[in-house]
Amino acid sequence: MTALPRTQRLADHMIRRACRRLPGEAGDERYREWAAELPAILSDPDVGSGIGARMRRSARALGYAAGVSRCARRLGRAGGQPRPAASLQAQPGFPVRRVVVGVLIDVAVVALFIALSTAFRPPRPWLLIPVLPAAAGFAAFCLADLARARQVRYLPKWGWAIACLIQIPLGGIMYLAAGKVPAARPEPPAQP
Amino acid sequence: MKLTGPLERVLRVFLADPSARRYGYDLMKAARLPSGTLYPMLARLHDQGLVTSEWEPPPADTNGRPPRKYYQLTGEGIRVARLELAQAASDAPRTAPGTARPAPGSAS
Repeated sequence: MTALPRTQRLADHMIRRACRRLPGEAGDERYREWAAELPAILSDPDVGSGIGARMRRSARALGYAAGVSRCARRLGRAGGQPRPAASLQAQPGFPVRRVVVGVLIDVAVVALFIALSTAFRPPRPWLLIPVLPAAAGFAAFCLADLARARQVRYLPKWGWAIACLIQIPLGGIMYLAAGKVPAARPEPPAQP
Repeated sequence: MKLTGPLERVLRVFLADPSARRYGYDLMKAARLPSGTLYPMLARLHDQGLVTSEWEPPPADTNGRPPRKYYQLTGEGIRVARLELAQAASDAPRTAPGTARPAPGSAS
């Protein structure tokens, strides 16, 4: 019996998706193991009672599902099939397609933002003329840089891509400041 | 085997009652570890032959609960765990709480 069927379904779904990364038999077994823990979490008597307890149980179950997803990714990497090489190697040449898609998404986001802000304020369309290309250009620059990066810090690449897109220009600035791995410096000259 | 803090906590939980079979969430709560830390560790211990796992036999009285997987130290696991914990205790006597460093201001 579970008090929170919706949370259980969501957590179950997360676990099932994660276990697909594992090779056939192992994935199935892991899924059964992890899914079987959910009822215990969602009806854990140690959490307490009251209104907060439902939230805490839900958070715990979702945290559990996120954790085992991480575990499945690790096990999947360790157990055989390596990650596709394309994601590890720098893209040769200029990633035209990614930039185009990035810019399109970007323009859509900016347009949405402007539409929302003008809905509440007297419109100032002249502001769009410098701001729109600048914002799109900056986000495109960040996405292109991200696409060519061999590796990034703190977040996966897609995480930085989302950050760059939804927080123009803050996400891009954060990526350039924190997420970007600085290019390897040439070896310093030998000490005389 | 490198004895990290989380690993030490898991081994202590197992050694508290070596004959008990523990399931994942039970271990998480007892060792205060998140699932993303615990399960890779269990998988490693399992690969090293220090932990066995078995499925709960599907009984009639679980009122619809799916069968769980239980973990337990092997004989070798109990031996290694005791050894590692004893070694950690003798290696780091100075890290015992309260003795690591003098209280601030006590040096004057």
